[in-house]
Formats: sequence, structure tokens, C-alpha cells
Amino acid sequence: MNRKVRLRPRHLRTRLTLSYVSGLAILLVLAWAGTCGLLFWQLRNQLGHFSIQEIETVEGLLYFTPQGQLRLKEDYHNHSESKDVIERYLEVRDADGSVLYRNERLGDRSLGNPPFRGEGVGGYSERSERLSDGTRMRVVSRVHVLDGRPLLIRLAHSEEPLYERLRDLSLASLVILPIVLLIAWFAGYGLARRALSPIEKMAREAQEITPEKLHARLRVDDADDELGQLARVFNETLARLERAFEQLRRFTSDASHELRTPLAMIRSVGEVGLQKDGSRAEYRDIVGSMLEEVNRLTSLIDNLLTISRADSGHIQLHRTTVPMLALAREAAALFEILTEEKSQTLDVGGDETAQVEGDPIFLRQALVNIIHNAVKYSPIGERISVAVRNGDSARVVIEIKDNGPGIPSEDQPKVFDRFYRVDKARWRESGGAGLGLSIAKWAVEANGGTVSLQSEVNEGCTFRITLPRAAMPSKHAKPASPVPAPEHA
Amino acid sequence: MQILVVEDEQKMAKALREGLEADGYAVRVAHTGEEGFYLMNAQPFDLAVLDVMLPGHDGFEILSTIRRRGIKTPVLLLTSRDAVEDRVRGLDIGADDYLVKPFAFPELLARIRVLLRRGKAPAVERFKLADLELDQGRRSVTRAGQAIELTPREFELLEYLFRNRGRVVSREMLARDIWKETSRQTPLDNVIDAQMVRLRKKIDGQFEPKLLHTVRGVGFVLREGDES
Repeated sequence: MNRKVRLRPRHLRTRLTLSYVSGLAILLVLAWAGTCGLLFWQLRNQLGHFSIQEIETVEGLLYFTPQGQLRLKEDYHNHSESKDVIERYLEVRDADGSVLYRNERLGDRSLGNPPFRGEGVGGYSERSERLSDGTRMRVVSRVHVLDGRPLLIRLAHSEEPLYERLRDLSLASLVILPIVLLIAWFAGYGLARRALSPIEKMAREAQEITPEKLHARLRVDDADDELGQLARVFNETLARLERAFEQLRRFTSDASHELRTPLAMIRSVGEVGLQKDGSRAEYRDIVGSMLEEVNRLTSLIDNLLTISRADSGHIQLHRTTVPMLALAREAAALFEILTEEKSQTLDVGGDETAQVEGDPIFLRQALVNIIHNAVKYSPIGERISVAVRNGDSARVVIEIKDNGPGIPSEDQPKVFDRFYRVDKARWRESGGAGLGLSIAKWAVEANGGTVSLQSEVNEGCTFRITLPRAAMPSKHAKPASPVPAPEHA
Repeated sequence: MQILVVEDEQKMAKALREGLEADGYAVRVAHTGEEGFYLMNAQPFDLAVLDVMLPGHDGFEILSTIRRRGIKTPVLLLTSRDAVEDRVRGLDIGADDYLVKPFAFPELLARIRVLLRRGKAPAVERFKLADLELDQGRRSVTRAGQAIELTPREFELLEYLFRNRGRVVSREMLARDIWKETSRQTPLDNVIDAQMVRLRKKIDGQFEPKLLHTVRGVGFVLREGDES
């Protein structure tokens, strides 16, 4: 029962219309207030102006009776019985503030407060005042000298008609404004709906796209407008997704194929072994052969796990400053015995100061995999070299060069692909599943580096790794052991 | 030596029982975590091999409960998950070692020996098998009285085989203990095989009986006679 009241409308078009209409309402109210203010100010000015003219007239009509009383020549009215004359209020005071004259309309009410200092001197004093009954008046005063006596003439007109007009105008607006806003609401809503309808259409189209139908794309009506751009960006994302899905699908199918090969061998060896009555030694041989395939499966699965963890970004790198030449020496030393067996020479040389910012474990893995590849595919007696140097633009370059059979140029882009092997038939003897180089590539790239291959048939291969150089070349580089202690205690 | 094996998969449990019994241990198997927990409470074992993926209460739960109860039996965890966080978690809550399935059986035996021996330093410095002798102090190896020149790595390898005399050592064990490889992905098998060929040439080449044997699919063993 405690449902939270939702103040924000659900539809974008409602929200758009709402903000548009409220904006309009604020503008209309402001405009109306401004207009009224201006109008009122002008009318009041007019009233003041008129009073000033009236004062000038009245000045000429005032006279003292022989008894010393102030009078206004009433015969003037015969010519001008205008409404304004009738409606005017007039009061004349002496210099000491005593009232000398009040016209009939004013009666015995005081026109405003007692005179203030300088009132009506040297011009017209114009202001608003209230009568005792609350009527708002526009009062103009002026000092006029009659027969040598300074008289303060106050003349006023009621402001009430102005306020009345203001009220009428407000009432009219109260009726008109909602109607205008209502019309604006419908117009705005329709407009917003029309503007947003392509988005709804896109949403419907996008909803149809499932992992099975990733080849579908949104229709782009006009590539240059905002919605067209949105659709284009969406389509580009879809294309990337489709590529990723395709890669994943291929990877899964390749992986199951690779897993199936050793499984098939285990199965056949086991089945054939059971069919005959063998000696103890023969059985040992059979089981041993099966175990060999199990080892192959195990290492394949370990590699697949590494790749899947790398793909999902679950591997955390522990970056330090890595002396590259020492790391290369260490990686190469691992294969010393293999190169000796094949009478190969494996030279490691280069710049001692070349230091890389990266994770030594994964960098070493990359080097080991690439050097192993070179050792594996180089013929007997050939030379393999590993060269480390400081390259341009804050990179360290490592080149692993062999004099093996090389890789045909059409196959070169695939060398780093998972499960790729140049010679499909040879993998049993060399024992790789074609994951080493792809793991190496991942390890280098995860450390901010690049790896590329240059090769020509019968000219050998050169793998070139570039890595970001360590920011501050440390003087205490320990070339002895760049690899931390083993995880297993 | 009494070992408790907590493992729900029948085949695996059977293999563990037979393998451990063949190595001279008395083995008790529990098929559920609850049963294992009960047994560990009821009687003292020298060591427990505990599978992490158990139905109901998993290995982590069992382990942390018995450690809270103050039971100090050494525990070796078995798991099929290789994630570092899992390993760290296991060791954090009181496991003594950790092995990822599938493992090489000789590896399991070696780890168990280490756990049971813990605290007792093996002070052996001279080894002898038939007429092959290794003196650690003088770093010398002789066969039938003749001195044999070994590289440091070969010496280390032979010493390791001597320490595990009569037992098979797997390539994984060698990779980790001799080559100090942390990663299981490093292509070391060829290197190990080549190294073994050389070592065998030096110590067995012109001598009888042969002492260094390859156990196909499993690893290598130093012993007299072909069969176990």
C-alpha cells in the first residue's frame, strides 16, 4: 500500500510536452505582467499629465473675494462640463497649512496628508495618496502665488478606474491563458510524438534482434540527422557484437574439436586394449598411452582457461619495472637443452638498460611461448637470436628471429589466431595445440604492447614485440630474477 | 598414518583410497561433507583430503567449521577451480595445501608427504641406490666408484629423484620444484624430457642395472628393477 507516488511522467513525449508547456506558461505570465505594468504606468502618467493641465487652468480661475475668501470662478464650467472636471478633487492650502478651499466633490475630506517640505515648490509634485475612505488618488501639487500670497494647490483624480481595468484584464487572462496552454499542450504533444515515433520504431526493430539474428540491422532513413546517427552507431555496435559472437562460436567449435582429438585416442586405445588379453607390460603401455593423452587434455584445458579468463578480463596484472634483457635471458635459458639437442644456437643480446613497465609473469610467458615456437620450427644447426633494444617514442623493442622455413604471407595474419598451426599434421610431434602464440599476443597486448610477424618463405621469421618503456629507468635493476617467487608455497 | 578422504564422486574416492593405501596409508572415505565433519570430530586423523565441491555443505564450510572448533588436522583441499581467489580463500580459512583437479597422483602423494613431515627437517645429505651415490655436501655423484660430472640442474634433478626414491615424480612436480615455473602453461615438457635423456645417459649409460625409469604417461622414477 506504500506505493511511492511517481512524479515523473513515464513517457518521454509527456515529459517533453510538460516542460514545453510550463515554459510557455511562465513566458506568458511574464509577458502579461509586463504588459499590465507598462499599461498601468502609462495611464497613470497620463492622469498626472492631465492633472497638471488642470492645475494650470485652476490657477487662472482662483480669486480672493473682498472678504478675503478664496473662490473658484464657477462660470468656467459652462464651457467645459467634461467628466474629468467633475471628477477632479481640488484643495488649496495656505502657507501655514490651513485649508483655504475644497471643491464640492472633495467635501471636507483632506486630500492627502499635511503638506510636506518643498511640496509643489519649483514644479509639480506628483504622487499617489489615499483618501480617508481608502480611495487611491493621483495627486499633483503646486505652489501658486495669488495677490502676493503663496497658495498650495492640490489637484487629484481617482486611480480606481485604472485598478479596475487592471482587474478586468487579469480576469480575461485567467480565462484565456488556460485555453492557450491547453492548445499548446495538444500541439506540443503531437509534435513530440511525431518527433519520437522513429525512436519507437527503432526500439521495435532493435527488439527483434536476438543473438541468432545478429546480422539484422536497423533501417537508416536519413543518415545525417540525429536519429540516423543513432541508428548508425547502434548498427556499428551490432556489427562489433556480431564479430565477437562469430569469434566465440568459432573458438568454441575449434576448442571442442581440439578436445575431441585426445579423447578419441583415449577411447580407441582403451577399447582396443580391452579386446585382447595382454601381458602386464602391454597393459601398462596402454594405460601410459592413455595418460599421455590425458596430460595433453589437461594442458589444453589449462590454456583454454587462461584464454577465457583473459577474454573476460578477469586476469589482474601486477605491473612493475621489468629489465627486459634479463627476462629474455631467463626465458631463453629454459630452452638451452632443447637447442643443444638440435645443435641450434640461441643468442640473447641487446641493451641492458631497456626496461619495461609491465607484469613480469605474463611478459615472460609471452617470450617463452615465442622463443619456444622459434626453437620448435627451426631446423637442426640453425641460429635463433633474441635482441632487446630501446626503440623510438618510449618503447622497448624485442626481436626474436629464427632461420626456420618461414611462414607464407597468406598465412601470416592467422599466426596469432587461436588453434592456428602452420602444419596441421605436425602438431602431434611438436605437442602444441596452436594456442601459444595467441596467448603470447594477449599477454603482450594486455601489457600495452604490440606483437607483429615478418616472414618470408625459407627466410625465417622475425617476431617483433614492442612494449612501453618504464618511466624512470631504475639504477637498482636486479637482472638476477625478474620473476617473483612461485605461488605454491 | 590415518588419512580421511572427503569426496562425493565414487570413482574419484575409490581411486584416492586405493592410491593412498598402495602408498601405505590407512584410509577412511566420507562421501558427504556432513559425514566428513562427523568423522573428524569423532576421531583424530593425521591428515584430511577435502574436496571443495561437495553437495550440501561445501569443503570451505566444513574446513572453516572444524578450524573454528580448534581441530588442527592438516587439510589438503582438492578443487577443479583454478582461480587464484579460490586458492587464497582456501588457504585463508585454514587449508594447509591446495591441489587443482585434474592432478597427477604422484603430486598428491608428494604433497601429503610434505604435510605429514612438516616440522621434521629431512637431514639426509648422502643418498645411495645400488652403486649410485650422491653426496650433497661435496656435490659429487659416483656410479660404481666412478665420478660422474653433472651440471647444477642435473645434480638438482638427481637429488630430487633421490629424495622421492621409489616414487614416481610427475612433470608438473619437476616443473614447479626444479624449474620453478609458476605457470602451468609454460611449454616445459620437451625441456624436461630432453634433460632426463641426458641425465639417464650419464648415470645409466654404461652401467647396469638401469636406475632411472620413465613411467609412460606419468613421469619418472629412480629405483632398482623395472616393476614396482
